[in-house]
Amino acid sequence: MKAPAEGTLQRIATFVAAFGVGVAAYIAIEAAGGDAPTCIAGSSGCETVASSSWSHLLGVNIAVFGIVGYALLLATALLRGDVARMAGFGISLVGFGYSVFLTYVELFRIEAVCQWCVASAVLMTVLFAVCALRMVAYVGRPT
Amino acid sequence: MNGSEERRRRLLQLVSAAAFLAVAVVLVLIVVNSSETDGGDTELEGVATAKRELRGIPQDGLALGEPVAEVTLYEYGDLQCPVCKGFAEDVVPDVIEAKVRSGEARIEFRNFTIINEESVPAAAAAIAAGEQTRGWDFLDVFYANQGQEATGYVTDEFLAAIARAVGVPDIARWDEERESPVVLRRVQHESEEAQRLGLTGTPSFAVTGPSIEGKEVLGTPGSAEALEEAIEAAG
Repeated sequence: MKAPAEGTLQRIATFVAAFGVGVAAYIAIEAAGGDAPTCIAGSSGCETVASSSWSHLLGVNIAVFGIVGYALLLATALLRGDVARMAGFGISLVGFGYSVFLTYVELFRIEAVCQWCVASAVLMTVLFAVCALRMVAYVGRPT
Repeated sequence: MNGSEERRRRLLQLVSAAAFLAVAVVLVLIVVNSSETDGGDTELEGVATAKRELRGIPQDGLALGEPVAEVTLYEYGDLQCPVCKGFAEDVVPDVIEAKVRSGEARIEFRNFTIINEESVPAAAAAIAAGEQTRGWDFLDVFYANQGQEATGYVTDEFLAAIARAVGVPDIARWDEERESPVVLRRVQHESEEAQRLGLTGTPSFAVTGPSIEGKEVLGTPGSAEALEEAIEAAG
């Protein structure tokens, strides 16, 4: 099966990463103000997850790491060449792996689901798929 | 194999090695996150309730409410005290909703450690959580998980689990501050203040405001309505 054009993959990754920056920034801004992101339909899952200690890593809210990760992925999506292709794959792999772990924590440790965290996990999964496809199909090939 | 394909093969090998590195990074993050958390918060009650009750209300130390509020209601309590737990669950939330959220009054918790020596580390832990704007979350979740008084349940692990559950941002700082001489002295001063006011039990309340001179001791009013009336009279 023929892979989509690299430009198409880059545009998808750019859009998804920019959206990811927005989602992570919203969670981080709410947390900085002492609040939790607002879940749709009055669910308290967002508050439960945000108030859990799992929401911090080394004293820093995980959403801040999310902003950095998505911003780096945005940069790799906009850039051309093998370094961008490989960096995008590596960063999205870390993001995807950690998102899987956090989703497990939500479901089985905290036993609450934050819709914004799920949204971020979905975005990171899409980014991983797109970056992996771009890397496998185009690394070592002329831009 | 031409040069271009050879280069591509080498890059893919490099990416495979990088993928292992990325997986290792994820594992390290998971281990760090898990070791920081210890999973203790998942068994605690009342975390979501406390968040809901306190959401959007400013916290400063163990004071809850707008700093410019004219009336301040003081609650002198002992975290081990079962009557205080009852007030925290059935009376104080109504006062918060009616008077504190509106900005009419603020409520300040003062530690009056009268049960036994275990009350002191509990009080200090609450003050240290307050230093990171989680004081009232800590009080609420402590009360929600309160054990039988003076039975030794107030352990470091119990306190740390609450601090983590309420989202104290810097647990290491909290752990250091709760044992600091400054915080322990403050616990002592607050209890001494309660004694100076002539309080003999917990919870006891007092109020300050523009319509009264100094601090008016209210004792232990039996209902939220009585506390709300005292706030209105002080305003």
